[in-house]
Amino acid sequence: MTQILFKDINKEGLHTMKVYEELGGYQSLKKAFAQKPDEIIADVKASGLRGRGGAGFPTGLKWSFLAKDVFPRYLCCNADESEPGTCKDRELLLKNPHLLIEGMILCSYACQIETGYIYMRGEFHDLSFIMDKALEEAHAKGYLGKNILGTGFNLDIHTHLGAGAYICGEESALLNSLEGGRGEPRMKPPFPAVEGLYSKPTVINNVETLCVIPYIVNEGAEKYASFGTEKSKGTKLVSVSGHVKKPGNYEIEMGTPTSELIYNLAGGIRNDNKLKAFIPGGSSVPMLPADKVDTPYDYESLAAAGTMLGSGALIVIDDSVNIVETTLRLISFYMHESCGKCTPCREGTRWLYQIVERIMQNKGQLEYIEKLEDICGNMSFKAFCPLADACVAPVVSSIKHFRSDYEEYFKNVGVS
Amino acid sequence: MSEVTLTIDGKSVTVPKGTKVADAAKQVDIDIPVFCYHEKIGPLGCCRMCLVEVEKMPKLMTACTMDVAPDMVVRTTTEKVEKAQKGVLEFTLLNHPLDCPVCDKGGECPLQDNTFKYGPPDTRMEFHRANNVKAAPLSPVITIDRERCIACQRCTAYSERIEQGQGLVMLNRGFYNEVNTFNNEPYDTRYSGNVIDICPVGALTNTDFRFKARTWDLTNHDTLCAHCGVNCNITVGTRLNKLMRIEARPNDAVDDGWICDKGRWGHNFMESQNRITAARENSVGATQPTSFPNFPIDAPTEHAAEKVAEAFKKIVDEHGPDSVGLIGSAYATNEESYLYQKMFRLLGTNNIDHKTYQDTPGLPIDHYDIEQIESSNIVLLIASDPTEELPILDLRIKKAVTNSGTRLLCLNDQDTALDKYADQKVKYKVGSEASAVDALAEGLARELGDAIEFSAALDQTGISADEMKALVEAVRSSMKVCVVYNPAALSGDVGLRVKRLLQVISKIPTVECGAIPVAPATNAVGAMDMGLVPDFYPGGVSVTDTEQVKSLWGENAPTQAGLSALEMIAKAKSGELKALLVHRSNPAVDFPGGAQVVEALKNLDLLVVHDMLETETTQLAKIVLPSNGPGFDEGTTTNIGGRVQARRKSLDTNHIADWKLLSVMLKTLGDETDYPRAAKVLDEISKKVPGYQGINIRGVGKSGLNREKVSCEEISIGNANIDSSGKLRLRIANYLFAHDKILDASSKLAHHFKASMAFLNEKDAGSMKVGDGDAVRILGNGMEINAEVKVDNRCLAGGVVVPRISNEQGVNGLENLDGSPAWVSIEKI
Repeated sequence: MTQILFKDINKEGLHTMKVYEELGGYQSLKKAFAQKPDEIIADVKASGLRGRGGAGFPTGLKWSFLAKDVFPRYLCCNADESEPGTCKDRELLLKNPHLLIEGMILCSYACQIETGYIYMRGEFHDLSFIMDKALEEAHAKGYLGKNILGTGFNLDIHTHLGAGAYICGEESALLNSLEGGRGEPRMKPPFPAVEGLYSKPTVINNVETLCVIPYIVNEGAEKYASFGTEKSKGTKLVSVSGHVKKPGNYEIEMGTPTSELIYNLAGGIRNDNKLKAFIPGGSSVPMLPADKVDTPYDYESLAAAGTMLGSGALIVIDDSVNIVETTLRLISFYMHESCGKCTPCREGTRWLYQIVERIMQNKGQLEYIEKLEDICGNMSFKAFCPLADACVAPVVSSIKHFRSDYEEYFKNVGVS
Repeated sequence: MSEVTLTIDGKSVTVPKGTKVADAAKQVDIDIPVFCYHEKIGPLGCCRMCLVEVEKMPKLMTACTMDVAPDMVVRTTTEKVEKAQKGVLEFTLLNHPLDCPVCDKGGECPLQDNTFKYGPPDTRMEFHRANNVKAAPLSPVITIDRERCIACQRCTAYSERIEQGQGLVMLNRGFYNEVNTFNNEPYDTRYSGNVIDICPVGALTNTDFRFKARTWDLTNHDTLCAHCGVNCNITVGTRLNKLMRIEARPNDAVDDGWICDKGRWGHNFMESQNRITAARENSVGATQPTSFPNFPIDAPTEHAAEKVAEAFKKIVDEHGPDSVGLIGSAYATNEESYLYQKMFRLLGTNNIDHKTYQDTPGLPIDHYDIEQIESSNIVLLIASDPTEELPILDLRIKKAVTNSGTRLLCLNDQDTALDKYADQKVKYKVGSEASAVDALAEGLARELGDAIEFSAALDQTGISADEMKALVEAVRSSMKVCVVYNPAALSGDVGLRVKRLLQVISKIPTVECGAIPVAPATNAVGAMDMGLVPDFYPGGVSVTDTEQVKSLWGENAPTQAGLSALEMIAKAKSGELKALLVHRSNPAVDFPGGAQVVEALKNLDLLVVHDMLETETTQLAKIVLPSNGPGFDEGTTTNIGGRVQARRKSLDTNHIADWKLLSVMLKTLGDETDYPRAAKVLDEISKKVPGYQGINIRGVGKSGLNREKVSCEEISIGNANIDSSGKLRLRIANYLFAHDKILDASSKLAHHFKASMAFLNEKDAGSMKVGDGDAVRILGNGMEINAEVKVDNRCLAGGVVVPRISNEQGVNGLENLDGSPAWVSIEKI
């Protein structure tokens, strides 16, 4: 198995500067500083790296969109990792903080940024100490601060803790929160690359994305691009959770069949039950039934199967579960996390919850399914940000693939 | 700005780049429903009501957030759009109570209207609607109904973007989010009431108006606010001849669609117990004036007016025309002021004034209207505190600074709330404004190569040479500068020095320039224009311009400069002035001198006060005539921007109108003119007042008309003498919600009333050994007032700022009768 991010992940003391440097850490800086910033952006473009936070937008392209000649610019590392099922960034922050710092330095150099922020979810309180310690070490070593390695390039990185809102993982809500405002998404355009943090051009990248950069600089774009499929390059960290024997984070090459992840790496379904469904990319993507388990795990194949790679959180559901229960749990999450800014999301998530809850109380009617689909139709692509679409995804996909699970409840209408 | 052409529902429309699709649609009469979008506040994208189909876009777009683009094809009535509109309205109504039959918004509710036009026929909501608080006070004047709120965030966006504060915010999230304030502080900014107007449902309600009347039962009167000099446009809703509510009536040239809370709730005076409803004779004064015939108590007002005119005529006959005088009002309409000056000039005197500061009509450069602030790249604010004096001007300046990149330069002797928007803030010592203004003029003149010697003593102002240099440079290098200055806050002849500064600025070849004189009174500009001054006839015609005076005003028109208001008081004291008519003014409290003014007024043979409310001065009057005042009167006023607008009657009264009462007096004095309507007075004004030629009531219409430039005399003044004879110089500041005759104890705004405060510089506080919260006595001019000390460096050392907070406070009494610099001392109690 190709290991780029997780190569030394379980090495004792990796989070310290000493061990990290022994393993070749921060070597990329010299190489990068010998190049022009634009060359690094070109390299990242050539590597085919796509944003690992969920949307899969080409990283190099994102960097090249920064408003020309407007300074200061900011880098925000999105370490909010709030998508249910996702815990890959947490592992990187916990065990390999210097890799992120190195990635952020490279990105900042490439994009001519002098201030970076690591926006961590409030629950990462403990990790922020590890991160702060690592930043301190990097400062002491001269990798951060003024005139880094004598190049005249300055960079400061700060950690910032959120107050615990899913929506703050959305990049523009993250910026609002980082500025001290209410965690609500902003209107786009302007996009952050033009007017982001403090109305200045801003790069926002996921932890995993930034952690890949040192590899690309060290080994070359071609080497990175040699992994994966034609359009989905490189490797991906996948957080496997749910009814498997060995839940956890696994690094796979893009295009590895999902079945390999479930049955091989994660050790198969618990109690040797049968697989019923899986959600491949975190709670906000549509679920797939068991017969799609051989779908290659990459952006294109999953899209073709009617779902998304998302943040790379594979949630496995076995046949002991009625999918309606799963759906209700997911809706309840989105109802709780809706920021309330726009009407379809604020009202729609609650209404969906009320209806599905009533179905589960055996008080539903068959027309409810049609109504659910119609409400979902009124919500999807009509809300301000994708949170409403995320809530709609499990409802629509569960009805599509597991209508019989709903019908179970209608058989017993009146029986509580 | 470049134009963009797009197609909406098959109609082609060309609009400036940057216009939102929702606004472009309005141009071709296509209705795109909205809740959260407000053109003054800007896009939010919250309510999702304005979804439209745009060609080449995969999903529906919100018309309110989307900029127009060339060749864009927008469709607003497709099946997809209609389905989305129904869907969004269903969501919006999901938990909205159906209490329209008792809702204040009913009948004028966008939610009602949009549901009717675009909504689903019924709801599929089968659960109980959410319950929430029905009446939570956000402030003593605003009540929120949380059930009705659709969380569109219009109000919180208003608070953030227009007021530029954090007064109203969204708290909590998702379904539980709510409009509220931090820490449950009341939402009581100076402009809070506008959220009631812009709320698209019945959530934010006017506590005063709640459940009082159905909107369709109201008679709406388009009129003007009569508090400050902005003259914001308002709609007064009345029912059965009772005032029910006041709403903003957007006029971009004046108020930009907003009014302040004083304009919205400061209307109690219209129903006050203190109103003067009939003419009366007071038994005051030591002796009965021989010249005045006995006056029956129950005489009709017209009869009383005739008697007043006769009495004045008699006094003029006995003692000469200089023995009578008029103190007019900066709050009266143009018509009233015009007729009053006419009456006194008919009596043969120029003893006519309305103010206690020095000023002349007209400006040596363009008189900008308020809208020009936004297109200026420099606004130079001199001695003005718009936040307290003209709140809607404050909003306009903030808007210009934040949206149009206008740079604000403040030249003032005190800190103001607008300072934080200033590019440069230059503070001079209290009382040294003459040198500060002259130094700026001198600096600019020098840049022009004009060797004018003003010998401005910059060192006495507390301004550093560098600061002044930067200020000069900022003005000189600007493209368009708008000077906003408050003549009422300038001592001595500094108002004229500012005009000299304006002359200098107008000579800079690269600078387009204009000015706005921002005296806070309702019709301060109109009073000047109408010739309520001792040395100018209406329209800035100097009394010494004999030829023009005689051609406009006849052979007998007086051509000697008369006495100013303060001089009249002084002459009353010395006995040379025998009779004084005071119109809508309260010299006993508002003039410098305090007790001395009262003594002087008592010394008069005849004091006639024509006012709408009982004041300290009406108590001293021999004869009191009733005035109708705002709400009941009609006429025009000229705002700070030179815009003439019509104030219309909102409430019926049986009392004779002021202008009519004046026409009775004029007739008694032999004036032949017949005035059947107020509009006829305006017609005469348009003939007699240079600058008002094009003004007539039809032209003024609902949104007003800018008057032409009023002529301005060449200014010649000598060097400034800074009086530094005392220790602590008094600066009286304004406070918007002062507890005076207009905002009396029963006012809805009583919660804003403040205690008497003395703002001190820490240096002075240190040497006087007083600190925050200490009670002190301020002594000056033989008077004393109490105040609480606040040490916040609001002014430089050597000064003390005391806001005028009530009539009882009597701060004007600390000033000398002659209006000379007021030196005070402070004693700890």
